[in-house]
Amino acid sequence: MAEQFPQPAQQQLYSLNLGPQHPSTHGVLRVLLTLDGEYILEADPIIGYGHRGHEKMGENRTYLQFMPNASRMDYLSGLLYNHGFCLAVEKLAGIEPPERAKYIRVICAELNRISSHLLWFGTFLMDLGAFTPFLYCFDDRENILDILDRVSGSRLTYSYCRFGGVARDVDDVFIEQTRAFIKRLRSRWPDYHNLVTKNVIFIHRVRDVGIIDKDLARRFGVTGPNLRAAGVAFDMRKVEPYEVYDRFDFEIPTGSKGDALDRYRVRLEEMEQSCRIIEQALDQMPDGPYRQERVRLKVKPPRGEVYFAFESARGQTAYYLVSDGSPYPYRVHVRVPSFGNLHCLTEVLKETLVADAIAILGSIDIVVPEIDR
Amino acid sequence: MENQRTEPVIQFALLDDLLNLARANSLWPMTFGLACCAIEMMAAGASRFDLDRFGAGVFRPSPRQSDVMIVAGTISKKMAPAIQMLWDQMPNPKWCIAMGNCAISGGPFEYEGQYAIVPGADLIVPVDIHIPGCPPRPEGLIQGILALEDKITKGEKRNVLRRFRRLERVG
Amino acid sequence: MAAKDDALRRIQELLGPGALTADPDFRAGVSYTVACPKESLLAVMEIFNACGFYLESLTGLDFQDTLEFVYHMNAYEPRARMAVRVLCPHDGEMPSVSGVFASALWQEREAWEFYGVRFSGHPDLRRLLLPDDADFYPLRKDFGTVHAYRKREEVYG
Repeated sequence: MAEQFPQPAQQQLYSLNLGPQHPSTHGVLRVLLTLDGEYILEADPIIGYGHRGHEKMGENRTYLQFMPNASRMDYLSGLLYNHGFCLAVEKLAGIEPPERAKYIRVICAELNRISSHLLWFGTFLMDLGAFTPFLYCFDDRENILDILDRVSGSRLTYSYCRFGGVARDVDDVFIEQTRAFIKRLRSRWPDYHNLVTKNVIFIHRVRDVGIIDKDLARRFGVTGPNLRAAGVAFDMRKVEPYEVYDRFDFEIPTGSKGDALDRYRVRLEEMEQSCRIIEQALDQMPDGPYRQERVRLKVKPPRGEVYFAFESARGQTAYYLVSDGSPYPYRVHVRVPSFGNLHCLTEVLKETLVADAIAILGSIDIVVPEIDR
Repeated sequence: MENQRTEPVIQFALLDDLLNLARANSLWPMTFGLACCAIEMMAAGASRFDLDRFGAGVFRPSPRQSDVMIVAGTISKKMAPAIQMLWDQMPNPKWCIAMGNCAISGGPFEYEGQYAIVPGADLIVPVDIHIPGCPPRPEGLIQGILALEDKITKGEKRNVLRRFRRLERVG
Repeated sequence: MAAKDDALRRIQELLGPGALTADPDFRAGVSYTVACPKESLLAVMEIFNACGFYLESLTGLDFQDTLEFVYHMNAYEPRARMAVRVLCPHDGEMPSVSGVFASALWQEREAWEFYGVRFSGHPDLRRLLLPDDADFYPLRKDFGTVHAYRKREEVYG
């Protein structure tokens, strides 16, 4: 470690600010590093630069009015958050969407998950210094955004799912485009693997870097691909299946060591598993209504609470809604995965090099505005 | 707050035009993505909506090396002093684009009891171009950058087909 | 399953069977709710830690007559989630569980800055999301605008 290098006569510790404005665009994150040369002794993430008061807004908005807030928290998995919020309110209010709506929502959610992982892939490699994969993955991502834009009207912050279904029906063009996209994405895997996964420089930068093992993950509440790379097969879609996820045949990719390379592999494999889910959903999707007609705009759930957890692209997200019987929620609390994922860096970043710190920050895949809510 | 743009003491007519043309066609933006609009800004710089063809694809993280600050996203009260500091660190000539509803006026987060955000970038820095949208499409950002180019080269009356509206300030 | 039953047994030994409310349909997303007095919170958390649970989320609720903190604990098993509910007066203090679960370090900082309740024993209680000079507690119902400020039994009966 640092002892093997000759120590200067006077050891001085140096405080360095990583952020809040820096090129690894994860949102506005500031990490206060205490450095001994190039080794990090302490890392203190300082967050709150994106705090917009979502939870206070939740108490001032009806359930439908809160829906735009949901996808703006984690804007990369906007549809997943929107979907989760609709499911939470449906559970609280006892609304049952029709079958076709469930399948449409699952297909769109998995497409969103793929687009989030693709963007993570591009920005992770951009953090490491490689600019080309960013252009490749944005090209694929634009195809997904075309499909979702056509059906929902929005590219990034969707409010496509509604309580009791979806806002508009999907047509045959959507199904054709999705199938064509899956075929195209599968033909791109060899490109990605040849460009990145087999690249010697990349492997040297991420192998054995930033190891998050099972105990560390449990103590900090780390979930999602970071936890699965540590070896724990915990995915809300399998553990507490919601919507129609129990009707599909897919696997949960896990790693063994929990280093950045494992996290990378887990996410790439998850994209392939999402493709499998989409294919099966397209095959199984029935005809029928796309929305429950009798749902009022001002949903008035009965008194009570619900804690609904689902799997977003970053990990386990949960909506905790407390209702007092009025159209306005009494409390909206969102449990976001990036909170724990970033928090574990206070231990993982100790005794690493600054260059490794960037690789670790990129590999855990955080979106800071969801931490700040 | 209104920062008055100071006029230079010595003015060259044709050289100014030439310099403005050069500045307009090689705007170097500063990466200042705060929230969701940052992703659309990245998409505008990526393969499909290439910003590089307008000379504006070189995103510099350092304010000392950039011309235009694209405020993309919601400005929280904690972040406002940092924005002020970054704007002051940018050398003249510099411009500012407010991208997205949050940077224009607080966007979907502005309501009566809001305690956490600054409703609009023009309360902190002088904004030249406003791009509405939540988030604006990358084509919208491109239109905004072209509007800024027109503003720099004073070509607004020439390029009537660009279809952007000049904001008339009263008082 | 194994971890959940183990934890249930030990909590029943500690607090007595009346403290646990079961929800077999998993309607509200939790399988058991533990009504925990403030003094036993640390012991309950140590039981959960020993059984392999993780602290999923810490939520504060502001009612007219009391504050309530809900700790959602989960294990890597299906339907293992349990909610630990602790009541606390508006001007009271809560014990910190950050010695047991490291994720509570940040969760309690957030709860403090939004509700104004100190967590005694927390090594580093400072602001997390709000600016350092903020002198208000946003999620309290007497701050800003809210739609309703109710007593606890109006919501939970």
